[in-house]
Amino acid sequence: MNSRAANHPRPRPLRKGPPWYRSWTFYRRLTAVVFLALLVFGSMNGFERFFRGSTSGTKILDVVPITDPLAAIESAVASREFHQTALLGAGILVVFAVVMGPVFCGWVCPLGLVLDLNHSIRRFVRRRILGKRKELPVPKPVSSEIKYALFGVLVGFAVVAQIPLFQIVSPINLLVRAIVFGSTLGLAFVAVIVVMEWIWPRLWCRALCPLGSFYSIVGRLGLFRVQINPYEAGKVPCKRCATRCPMGVPIMDDYTMKGERAVTHPNCNRCGECTEVCPRGVLKLSLFPYPRDAAPAPSCNPHEGDCDCGDVPLPVMQSTT
Amino acid sequence: MADWTRRQFVAAGGGIIAGIGLGGLYAATGRPARGGPMLRPPGALPEEEFLAACIRCGQCVQACPYDVLHLADLDEGLAAGTPYFVPSENPCNLCRDHNSLRCIDACPTSALSPVEFEDIDIGEAHICKGKCLAYNGTICRACWHACPFPDDALYFDDLLRVHVNTDHCIGCGLCEHACPTDPKAVTITPRGALVSPGAGRGKQSRRGGQGRGAGGEGEP
Repeated sequence: MNSRAANHPRPRPLRKGPPWYRSWTFYRRLTAVVFLALLVFGSMNGFERFFRGSTSGTKILDVVPITDPLAAIESAVASREFHQTALLGAGILVVFAVVMGPVFCGWVCPLGLVLDLNHSIRRFVRRRILGKRKELPVPKPVSSEIKYALFGVLVGFAVVAQIPLFQIVSPINLLVRAIVFGSTLGLAFVAVIVVMEWIWPRLWCRALCPLGSFYSIVGRLGLFRVQINPYEAGKVPCKRCATRCPMGVPIMDDYTMKGERAVTHPNCNRCGECTEVCPRGVLKLSLFPYPRDAAPAPSCNPHEGDCDCGDVPLPVMQSTT
Repeated sequence: MADWTRRQFVAAGGGIIAGIGLGGLYAATGRPARGGPMLRPPGALPEEEFLAACIRCGQCVQACPYDVLHLADLDEGLAAGTPYFVPSENPCNLCRDHNSLRCIDACPTSALSPVEFEDIDIGEAHICKGKCLAYNGTICRACWHACPFPDDALYFDDLLRVHVNTDHCIGCGLCEHACPTDPKAVTITPRGALVSPGAGRGKQSRRGGQGRGAGGEGEP
């Protein structure tokens, strides 16, 4: 181990990404698909007792309410009434977001799933069909204050006009209502957002989504985030993390090269893509930060069978919880 | 990055002011695009309050044991995502095979709030005398047999012609569904459409001081 640490400055072979069954992308999409499947399942006759509702409000096993916090706020201020069930359901999600951060956006949101798949399709078309070797360009930066302002606009509008506007026009709800209840007119709006993806990637998530803005404020101090290994950070400025980040977070410039302990950017939705492309195991998506005296990452790929790492502590491998 | 937090809250604060302005504009222009009056599930608040409280989650639609309810689509404007039903296709069965009204149990807000069976106020039946068989020489009492309050909500006069007592009619639509004529002779007018001149006449006596009468009614 000592010799390994002594050898550290020598350039080492790049780490390959994990296999699909160990990648965050797989589990992230799995949770989103399971959530969507539960919504469809709940809409079938006789199963509404187990799971019912849509993204603005669901009920699990006829007991536990889960409510979109923005829906609960809008409805409460619009009707000037304290809706117990809705606010309880919103409280559950808010507590979860405070502890875990804005994981809804990256892990559950059905629109996020669609945009994520769209992103993969774009990457596939670019690499396999057009044969270009470079990654997709980094999304153009946009001012993400717009979405916080939109959040305010919706609350203010609900107070005066007494209409929970976002629950009506939210593309997340429109998408789910189209899939679950067959109200297909709203798909036009979803289609506009997907087309916008090809011009201005993740414009909706980065700059417009009021629900995401709420979660990013609430989940600012969430524990589940991309942790930076202080030992490895800033040694090789390859910028793969920032190039890959679907939300356009300048991970390398603003976080790893500046000696931050974690990526705390409000746009980070905990998707974990950066941890999978980092060739040196600098980043991990985990509840637990690296200790200040973290050991170096192993020089070979610990996901492969021919790894000779021995008893070297593997910070990357500990990140599965 | 405290800088981020400050910018977020400044933006949200500015947004609230803009939202209040937009909401005021919406209210000042007479609250357009609220959709036509629709037949709401039992226990629905008056239309204005219903549109404010409903979070458009569709749980009532899924909870309905008879698959009566539909969700409005975007062509209904700001009523999109709210539940309604079409009695000629499928009337509200008032959960008579169940212990409680399932849609009301499912609602996470008070958009559908618990209501006594007789106080349900979805709308009112209206009989078109030109189409009704009973008015045109045939003996027909299909609507009367379907009605949950026979002889109270629907009753016959000496000539066996059917009449509606709007004090007792709750607007479930069972009569409309049972009516054998092709353009239905008996139709349900949504409560929302009644909030105009002669709105909800005579209902105060039945509802007492329940405070949550059909929208726009004055106190007796």
